[in-house]
Amino acid sequence: MAGLAHGLGGLKYDPKKRHRPPELNVFVAFVVIVLLFEILGRLFVGDSFLFNTRDGIDTLFNEARLRIIILQVAIIGIIALGVTQVIIAGGIDLSSGSIVGAAAMVGTMFAQSSINQYGMENTAPVLGIAFLDLPVIVAIVAALAAGLLAGVINGLLIAYGKIPPFIVTLGMMLFARGVANWTTKGKPISYLQEDYAAIGAGMTPVFIFLGAALVMHLLLKYTRYGKHTYAIGSNEQAARMSGIDVDRLKVLIYAIAGFLSALAAIVLSSKALTGQSGMGVMYELDAIAMAVIGGTSLAGGRGSVLGTCIGALIFGVIISGFTFMKLDAFYQEMAKGAIIVAAVLLDQWRARQQAARN
Amino acid sequence: MKKTLLAASLASALFAQAHAADTLTFGYAAYLFDDKFSTILRNGAEAYAESLGHEMIQVDANNDQGRQIDQVNNFIANGVDAVIIQSVDSSAAQPMTKALADAGIPAIYVNRKPIPIQQLGSMAAYVASNEIESGTLQTFAMCNQLRAEGKAGGARGYLLMGQLTSEAAIQRTADAEQVMGLDMCNFMTLVAPKTTGQWQRTKAQDIMTNWLSTGEPFDFVIANNDEMAMGVVQALKSAGIDMDTVVIGGVDATDDAIAAMKGGDLDVTVFQNAAAQGEGAVNAAIKLLNGEKVDREVYVPFELVVPSNADQYANRN
Repeated sequence: MAGLAHGLGGLKYDPKKRHRPPELNVFVAFVVIVLLFEILGRLFVGDSFLFNTRDGIDTLFNEARLRIIILQVAIIGIIALGVTQVIIAGGIDLSSGSIVGAAAMVGTMFAQSSINQYGMENTAPVLGIAFLDLPVIVAIVAALAAGLLAGVINGLLIAYGKIPPFIVTLGMMLFARGVANWTTKGKPISYLQEDYAAIGAGMTPVFIFLGAALVMHLLLKYTRYGKHTYAIGSNEQAARMSGIDVDRLKVLIYAIAGFLSALAAIVLSSKALTGQSGMGVMYELDAIAMAVIGGTSLAGGRGSVLGTCIGALIFGVIISGFTFMKLDAFYQEMAKGAIIVAAVLLDQWRARQQAARN
Repeated sequence: MKKTLLAASLASALFAQAHAADTLTFGYAAYLFDDKFSTILRNGAEAYAESLGHEMIQVDANNDQGRQIDQVNNFIANGVDAVIIQSVDSSAAQPMTKALADAGIPAIYVNRKPIPIQQLGSMAAYVASNEIESGTLQTFAMCNQLRAEGKAGGARGYLLMGQLTSEAAIQRTADAEQVMGLDMCNFMTLVAPKTTGQWQRTKAQDIMTNWLSTGEPFDFVIANNDEMAMGVVQALKSAGIDMDTVVIGGVDATDDAIAAMKGGDLDVTVFQNAAAQGEGAVNAAIKLLNGEKVDREVYVPFELVVPSNADQYANRN
């Protein structure tokens, strides 16, 4: 797609001038950060970041660390997939974190069990005794429907209300958080069924993330939906002139983003074994950051699922790397901020270089 | 509807008061009815006042400081005997304190400290639990348990703080560190620097899993609240660690925490007694009305919760 963005319809295509895919830069950055932690670890902590140094365990790598690196970003990663396509289409979604909160409350409400993991009886079910021990699919459908609905509302207001996405999703961010708080007046929802808890247990969140990433990758890369999404992000006017139903597409894009936020909410509440109205606070910014680090341009028209996945991994490596280095939480936040800006700086520089080459 | 009922009860209560001279009428200004802790506090105050044969009129400021000031002025105009206030904004209490002092009506602030506390004169008091106690009780109980398990020769662990901007997080952490500095408990040391789980279960879960990946052995985890302690419990359980080998402590005595304690996963938590704060407020008001002296700050103790007494704390906060 990037090759066509120069307005020559691909006529100037020259295989010798073929540039590296943008994901490669991100991947190199990822490898550099990992190696940095490996070296710093050996110098200052006297331990390896990647490799197993413990006696009695017969593995080459420190598998527990590799697992948590991806596990701790899987949930926000799912949101980032939806945010990526929104940004590619030239929009923004600030509501995803709040949709997580609302969908988590709606989902867990229908996922309550009459008995908890310790065999204690549930004396105060949120929706009454008739709603206990329902099939887990009910909770999943309820949560996903809530997320989808919020996304559709976002899309309708943006496409047909002609309100800027920033404003619409800012409104939805406040509204959905309000809904989340209203459901139980702030009280957490516990006593979740074992089947529901299984969704977020162990490494399942990672598989759900990778599955969703694969679907989104295929959708963006090989379908008309994907090609049109890039098209409206590059030049909305041109896309409209060439006959794309831009408004309908926008509703679809935000609906998918809302759906993925709800999917993240199900995994999150299941992993935590509770539904809480404060869930997902600030997740929208982490999700945007993952997409941006992964090479998605806030100007629209550029970005990829693969890039966002690597962006998510960079996040995970930083969190784990700082814990490994035994550094304080304060430094983690500073580093996260610096890396986001550095990533975009690098990206801008690369884009200018490329423009000069052509 | 709620308001109409309150207005009606206000009128009838005042009418009734004219008939029974020894029955006191308290005005109770809540910051928000839709808050669980605040409701337990309010109900505790009311039940206690009624058990003594007094009456209580409750109003809801709905989290609006302007409305609360009006409500207190209404209480004064209607001639209640004393006013109990859980303020909306603790730094905006001064107008209410002054209005009540000018009218000669005792003002009892409950749970939320009026700032500055010096504004409280001889007919006013502040009733709450002292935050210094929670972290101290928690860490000291953990210290005792580790000793009982024969780990007094050296125990290593982690400390999870709440949000770094929160006063409770800072206080509880400072108190935990102070206990770990005592001669009796200085065998407790931290494996890694304390870090923040931002009061959140999922954050704590991920941090604990990261700590586990370092492979360092450890004996305890101190968390500034129960939510983070629950995150630690879940991380350790999914890593297949024997929960008997680790002492875990939280604060709040939430329902989930009590359940985990009964299930043998959580070892220590601390209960803030909302109902007792309500009773304390009523007691302070009665004393002031009887002309007795009341300390400016009255503290209701935090209560330590361990598996042996966990049953009596179920469903209380």
